[in-house]
Formats: sequence, structure tokens, C-alpha cells
Amino acid sequence: MVAAFARVANRGAIPPLVYNPPVPPTAPTTPDPLAWLRPVDAFGRFTGRALLAAVREPLFWGEVAYHIRVIGGRCMGPVLITIVPFGMVLGLQGMNIFAMMGAQRLMSGLVTLIIVRELAPVLAAVLTAAQGGSSYAAELGAMRIKEELDATEVMAVDPMAFHVVPRVLAMVVVNPVLTILAILFGVGGGYIVAVVSYDQASGVFMHNMTELIGLYDIAAAVAKATCYGLFLGLLSTFQGFHTTGGAEGVGRAVNNTVVYTIVFLLVFNYAASSLLFGWR
Amino acid sequence: MGTVLRFVRALGAYGYFVWDCTRFTLRYGARWERVMLETYKVGIRALPILLVMAVFVGTNVAIQGYTAFSTLGAGNMVGMFVSMAGVREICPLLAGVMVAAKTGTEMAAQLAVMRTREQIDALEVMAVNPHAELVAPNFLAVLIALPLLTLIGLAASLAAAYAVAVHQLGVSPGEYSDYVWSNITRLDLLNALTKSVVYAVVISTVSGFFGFFSEKGPEGVGKATNGAVVTMCIVCICATYLLTAVFYG
Repeated sequence: MVAAFARVANRGAIPPLVYNPPVPPTAPTTPDPLAWLRPVDAFGRFTGRALLAAVREPLFWGEVAYHIRVIGGRCMGPVLITIVPFGMVLGLQGMNIFAMMGAQRLMSGLVTLIIVRELAPVLAAVLTAAQGGSSYAAELGAMRIKEELDATEVMAVDPMAFHVVPRVLAMVVVNPVLTILAILFGVGGGYIVAVVSYDQASGVFMHNMTELIGLYDIAAAVAKATCYGLFLGLLSTFQGFHTTGGAEGVGRAVNNTVVYTIVFLLVFNYAASSLLFGWR
Repeated sequence: MGTVLRFVRALGAYGYFVWDCTRFTLRYGARWERVMLETYKVGIRALPILLVMAVFVGTNVAIQGYTAFSTLGAGNMVGMFVSMAGVREICPLLAGVMVAAKTGTEMAAQLAVMRTREQIDALEVMAVNPHAELVAPNFLAVLIALPLLTLIGLAASLAAAYAVAVHQLGVSPGEYSDYVWSNITRLDLLNALTKSVVYAVVISTVSGFFGFFSEKGPEGVGKATNGAVVTMCIVCICATYLLTAVFYG
């Protein structure tokens, strides 16, 4: 004790309480010009791994069926609840427009055209993103945070094959089915407005319903919905799979999923509409 | 407990939550700096995404309107279709849904994280009212920002529809703008603003409700965010129909 005091006294200065070692010089960091491409790169790699796992053994059919049932059941309500008012709004406004030209009979054609080509695929996909995609991101994100995904890997089960592929496949299956249901219910909403509110003859509605569209449009809608489903499944599972940073990370993953999906849907929908319907 | 009963109970809890927010905000007031910060978050951060969305909505509406009207030989009336469908329905709705998806989920996740970390309880322990401190600024911010965002989105979608109609579909520019301007009335703008105010109330209170009463832990945050975004989308879309029926029915 005395010796220690003596040593301090002898040195003539009080040593600092916290010793900060000198920072070794590092190379100056240059800004990464491709930083914005990193997430795109990661998403591409994830997509490749998921597609590879989908075509390889083992494919967990039970999981696929389970996720189809869960996601279909969960998303059906929101999609149908929202498409019916939308069909009714279209009927209402279409009636106003066509009444100016005295061509009210064409209203059902317009309603069906818009619902089949644009509204049903997009709305079904948006609602599936909001309900199913965000729940996928939340589930996988929570599993990542609690290290359940690592546990799966430790048990020699590929988490890609067990957790990701069934979810993606479920989205691919469910989205077109929901789109077709949405078409039926949306046109039903238009029917309610036309026949009940505006006293249009039911036969007029039924006859003009298929005036402006054909089988081609329905096939195109289903094709679009399948693409959206694939993208939706991949993006939501990607966001969940690569969650970092605790509970906020889960919130961020869900948020990103919804925002990116909606933006992608609108952009892709414009491209698809131009290609499929614009120059025909 | 049955689904219906659970739904009714949730509705009652929501009503009580809204009442609490109103009561405590009137009693304690909302801090102005926080309102401004949240307004910045809602308004500026959602703006790029909103613009992208509005542009593509305008283009889509123009293409579909042109297709529908050209069967009547009236393809140049696409301006009317854009102003009716876009301005009255789709733009306000999509601005609402976009803000719900971007800002609403953010607010719900933030509140849920605070609940998980017991920060809301900590506020209460410090005698700071969490309703007035956390939910009221969000409410005011969305109420300020969403109508402005809707107007910006309307302008952007009209401009995008102009570009598509004139340069892709070959409608003459004068005809397009004549049909657009002669079909937008004050009632349309009033309708768009009313809708955006209603969406603002729905977005802020629903996200606040789901975040405020979330379960603890990562799954709780995920579930709260998920439930908030679905509920906001459904309520906004159903509100559209009601408001349209009120304004034009």
C-alpha cells in the first residue's frame, strides 16, 4: 500500500483512471459505390438458394399443405371483404360515366374489365402481402431472433427446404386462387349496385359482362397473380430470414416487406399491363 | 371464446383506447417538437414511395381507361376517366394504403417494441402519460401530412397519365387536359381531402392500438405489425365505399 502511494508520489503525476491505448492507424475507408446493390445481390442469392431447394429433395409436402391451408384461410377474408366494396365503387362511378353517353349497358363490361385486368390481381396481392407476407416475415424474423433457424440447421434439416420453400410454394398456389375468387366477388359487387341500386335488368348486366374481355384476360390475370405470388413469397421470407437486431428488427422486416411489395406490384403491374394489354 | 365475441371485445377495447387518447391528450397536451418530428417522418420519408406509386397508378389508369373507351370510339376521353377514377377513388385510397403500409406499420412496430422493453410502463412510472406522449403526436402528424401527400399524389398521377396518354397512346395534349380540367370539380377535391382525413384517423389510431396492446417479445412485435397493417387496409378500403356513396351516391 505504502509502496504504491510512494510510486505515484515519486512519479510526480497522477496516472489517468482509464488508459486509452493509441488507435492503430487504419487504411482510409473509401465509400462503397455499389452499396445500394448489396440488398439486391443478397436477394438474388436467396432466390437462387430457394429455387434450388425447391427442385431438390426433400420437399416437405406436409408443410406445403399446412401453409396453403393457413395462408389461404387467413387471406381469403381480407381479400373478399375489400374487393366487394371496390366492385361497388366501380359500379357507382361507371354508372355515372356511362349515363352521360346513355350507354349504361356497357357499365358491367367496364367493371369486369377493370376488375379482371387490374384490380383483382393487384388487390389480392396487396392484401396477401399485408396479411400473409407480413406474417411470414414476422414468423421467420422471430425464429431468426430466437435462433430457431440455427437450431433447425444444427439438427441437419435445411431451413431453406423446411421453412422457406413451403411458404413460397403456398404463396404461389394461393395467390391465383384468391385472384379468381376476387374476380367473382368484385363483379358481384358491381352486380349489386347495378341491379339493386340502379334497377338495371339482370340480363343486361350478365350479357354485357363479357363484352370487353375474353379468356385471354383471365389467363393473363392468373399468370400475373402467379408471378406476384412467387415474388411475394420470396421477398417476405427473405426479409424474415435475414432479420437482425432483436425485436425492432422484426418490425423493420415486416415494414420492409409490405412497402417493397406494394411498390414492386405497382411497377410490375404497369409493365405487365403494357405488355399484355397495351399493344394488342 | 368465439371469433365473433373476440372481435366485439377487440372493438370495445379499441373504442376505449381512442377515448383514452382523446381524454389524456386534451388533459395533458401533445408535445409540439414530437408532433413536428413525426410529421417529418410521415411526410418526407413516405414521399418518394408515394411519388413512385402515384406515377404508376396514373399510367395504369390511363392505359385501362384508354382500352375501355376505345371500344366506344372515344379513346380520347381518357382524360375524363383519369380524373374520375384517379382523382375520386384510386389516388386518395392508395395514398392512404401506402402511408398505412409505410408509416402505420412503423408506428405500430415502434410502440410494440416499447411495450416489449417495458418502456411504456417506464413512462407511466415516471408520471408521463403514454397516450398523450406517444399516440397523440402520431395522430396529429398523420392528420397534417396525409392530406398534403394526397394532393401531391394527385398531381403526380395526373402528370404521369398525361405522359402516357400523349406519348404512348397518342391522345392530343389539348384534348387530354380539357377532359381532365372540365371533370375535376371542387366536390372531387373535397371528397379526396375528406377521405384522407378519415384514413389519417384510422391509420394513427389502429396502429397505435395494435402497438400499444401488443404481446411482449419478437413474435408480439411481428403479430402487432401484421394485425395493424391488415386492419388498416381493410378499414380504409371499406371506408372508401361509404364515403363515395355519401359524396356521389
